[in-house]
Amino acid sequence: MNATSTRTPLGRANRTRLAMMAAGMVAGALGAVVGIRAAEGGFISLDGLGWSGHLGLWLAMVLFISGLFCVAASFSSRLTARSLDPESTGAARPAQMTFYRLQGAVLVLAGLMMGAPVLAAQLVDPMPPELAMAVMAALVAASISQTALNLSLWTRADEMMRRMISEVGAICFWVLQALFFLWAAAEVLGLAPALSSWDLMTVLMTAYLCISAGAAYARGYH
Amino acid sequence: MKNRLKVLRAERDWSQADLADRLEVSRQTINALETGKYDPSLPLAFRIARLFGQPIESIFDDEAA
Repeated sequence: MNATSTRTPLGRANRTRLAMMAAGMVAGALGAVVGIRAAEGGFISLDGLGWSGHLGLWLAMVLFISGLFCVAASFSSRLTARSLDPESTGAARPAQMTFYRLQGAVLVLAGLMMGAPVLAAQLVDPMPPELAMAVMAALVAASISQTALNLSLWTRADEMMRRMISEVGAICFWVLQALFFLWAAAEVLGLAPALSSWDLMTVLMTAYLCISAGAAYARGYH
Repeated sequence: MKNRLKVLRAERDWSQADLADRLEVSRQTINALETGKYDPSLPLAFRIARLFGQPIESIFDDEAA
């Protein structure tokens, strides 16, 4: 019996979790280096970009890199199995690989959609209306594609995941409607500055990602 | 809601993944059911009952919640 065969499933699962965390940290560091180099090289200026612009770009990078990892991993049955379930010791079924690939595609599209408006506005300033319309048309097409992919994921998900998605949507609504109401009231009363629609969108996406991560952890998706 | 899923699964020497495959759900769903983090829908409860050949009320106990 060699050393490999004496490893317990739990040890293997923990190694998978650690490997995924390390991959996330490396991807984050890589993204930061690329961003800093791009800014230093004059390819893009982040001057004048507000907090929601920075947050939007950071979210876009996280979503895009995570999505690329999912899509790449979905071509390996063993990597898909371990990504979907760190305690898995076998290979993923074709349906699971398709599901994981769809998840990756949704994340990639979400990253592109969140990053494109901010990057386009920063790269081309002032932006000609024709280019703005072209970017907008691409975003509408990406949004329709992402909706179709999300519906496909919903029909393929099992009942606990569907319930989790519904619960996350409900929690997001209750939390954000309260926060946005209070902010709007403070704004009307002259106690708080006005928020832009991009500010609201980045807060919504951040809240959704945090709440969905918490819900997934609570239900054992870790 | 408490249930006897883990016991019934162990009696058949099935892993969580085995049971998940038989019920066409994820292994995490089986784990969440066994640990009381998730209550199944009625259709899934019926599938579980049919799989183990027992009535629903002998597997799930709503009074122990």
